[in-house]
Amino acid sequence: MDLSFGFLLEYSGVLFEGLLNTLKFVSLAAVLGLVWGFVLSLGRTSKSSAIYGLTTIYVEFFRGTPVLIQLFWVFFCLPLFLGIELSGFASSIIALTLYSGAIISESFRAALKSIERSQFDACTALGLSAGTRTLFVILPQAVLRAIPNLLSNVVSLFKESALVSAVGMTDLMYVGQNIANNVARPVEILTTVALIYFAIGFPLTRAVTFVEGRLLKVVKA
Amino acid sequence: MSFVKIDKLVKRYGSLSIFDGFDLAMENTDRLVLIGPSGCGKSTLLRCMMGLEDIAGGTIRLGDETYVEGAENGKMKLNRKVQKEVGMVFQHYTLFPHLSVLGNLCLAPVRSRGIGKAEAKDKAMDLLTRFGLADRAEFYPSQLSGGQKQRVAIARALMLDPKLMLFDEVTSALDPELVNEVENTMMALAEAGMPMMIVTHDMFFARNIATQVVFQERGKVIEAAPPEELFGNPREERTRNFLRNVLHIEG
Amino acid sequence: MNYDFDWFYVKKGLPKLLEGLMVTLELTLWANAIGLVLGFLVALGMLTRIRLITWPLTAYIEFFRCTPALIQLVWFFFCVPILFNVWWSAEFMGILALGLNLAAFNAEAYRASIQSIPTAQTDACTALGLNVVQRIIFVILPQALLLSLPVLITNGIGIFQQSALVALISVQDLMYEGRYLATQTFRPIETLTTVALLYFAVSFPVSQMVTFVERRTSRLLQN
Repeated sequence: MDLSFGFLLEYSGVLFEGLLNTLKFVSLAAVLGLVWGFVLSLGRTSKSSAIYGLTTIYVEFFRGTPVLIQLFWVFFCLPLFLGIELSGFASSIIALTLYSGAIISESFRAALKSIERSQFDACTALGLSAGTRTLFVILPQAVLRAIPNLLSNVVSLFKESALVSAVGMTDLMYVGQNIANNVARPVEILTTVALIYFAIGFPLTRAVTFVEGRLLKVVKA
Repeated sequence: MSFVKIDKLVKRYGSLSIFDGFDLAMENTDRLVLIGPSGCGKSTLLRCMMGLEDIAGGTIRLGDETYVEGAENGKMKLNRKVQKEVGMVFQHYTLFPHLSVLGNLCLAPVRSRGIGKAEAKDKAMDLLTRFGLADRAEFYPSQLSGGQKQRVAIARALMLDPKLMLFDEVTSALDPELVNEVENTMMALAEAGMPMMIVTHDMFFARNIATQVVFQERGKVIEAAPPEELFGNPREERTRNFLRNVLHIEG
Repeated sequence: MNYDFDWFYVKKGLPKLLEGLMVTLELTLWANAIGLVLGFLVALGMLTRIRLITWPLTAYIEFFRCTPALIQLVWFFFCVPILFNVWWSAEFMGILALGLNLAAFNAEAYRASIQSIPTAQTDACTALGLNVVQRIIFVILPQALLLSLPVLITNGIGIFQQSALVALISVQDLMYEGRYLATQTFRPIETLTTVALLYFAVSFPVSQMVTFVERRTSRLLQN
């Protein structure tokens, strides 16, 4: 076994670009997922059984199937379904957003449910209108409570993003595999790629615990 | 005519009947304290008074206005104008944790009564000074002790100039050494003439603050009398048993 | 939409898909076997507080929890043969990688539930004269296992989903057979939808069971 890491410097530029692409995918899907997830969570807490039913089926489905099949479906089937052409980039973003929206909606829903009934009672006792109550009392608390889970959702998104390499997107995973194939030194290159993922994933995961600790104090009054 | 008049109140939880034709009256010089075993409807009564519960039958009047008219199937009628004249403090603080003390006090006046922010802030600082909490104005609930939180909750209710204050076991969740500061605040409020309905387990406090003590068991008034009478010379056997148990525990 | 739905090919291909599903289930079961046992041992190791043990274990857990499963899988597939001079099948590599991944998550679940058992329980054991080993086996362990059951099941079903990745290293699981069928028949919508529904048909009942288990165990452990 003969390992040499020297050649990696040659490829550092490409690897860095791959990493940037990964981060682009993750940030875009995260932002879109947050919006979509919030909308979904409204459906999940709606009084209308039709809306509740539809959103529940959606969320359960996206949580109950592999992200890979979701990605493939969007990549191969959606264009046929809609009759339009979808770039690999668009398909990947769509698939990641649909998935992250589902898991994010659960975070929002759990946060909303965790707000004690007594908060609602206090609003009634103070004569606040439903609108004021939602905007100034419930929503701020729901967002605060959801943040640790939302961060954790973003970490999951970050990890699942590696799948876009399977549909030809030149993210970090794709670049790594490509180089490994060309250079026939999989150990060095794949280990490096794994370490780069770790260098991002680890601080993100630690951030979740940290934020959770700080927020817990504010939220539990 | 009574200040508060509860007539033939009917309240059910599913198939369980909490109140079945409950009557109670109170003057605006009264401080009514409800005592009795747990789970017999005392808190529920207060919640009905605040309009937080669905009432299946009966009426509640406040002053010369009809406040709540009970009806089956959630068709109860609630006079929101009258509801705004009632204030309530709960057992578990229910301050808004994401707002400062000042924020908590000013939210309802500003957003719901249309009072200007500056005016609300002045009034809030006034109240906080009266309560000795002025230096905590910018603090957040998580930074306050239990007793301070409850006093802020009382101030928050007072910001709206209620005509009747309801206190639902406000000291039950507090550490013993914090109970006094809250009870003193309530006492001061009483001496300033605020009519109140209080649910408490603290019999000594009840005796001090009440003008009328109502012993309630399973949705029915067993005995109602001024504190000296009810505590000193209870007429009913059940009242005696209850007091014996409770006061024995209290020491 | 200009697409001719034709379910005939799916029906014809169904046996192959189900074969793939068998492979997926096999992978899942083996990975869970590793994940449950190894995870528990790792959790115990983490609780010993002996730095020589906890540090490497922490590195292991953090690495598998913070990086994509795909890179773990690909790394195992390409690098383990080279590093250790062994020639194991892709399925075996898949099971190994998925198993280690699952063990890392399960270790956290076990650790959290062991630590959530009130110290009063430990004190009670001391008061009753039980030694450390007896305490662990008869009091702590049963409760920890029950408490962590919902998370363990959820993680287990999570590995079922992640197993689809082995298709990318050419293991002929459900995902692989599905893709193959899709390209063979030019009917991606029917085949991929069927594959998705097959995955869902296994995951969903299990995830519903988790809620049920959660309720029963929480009532039991309330004391």
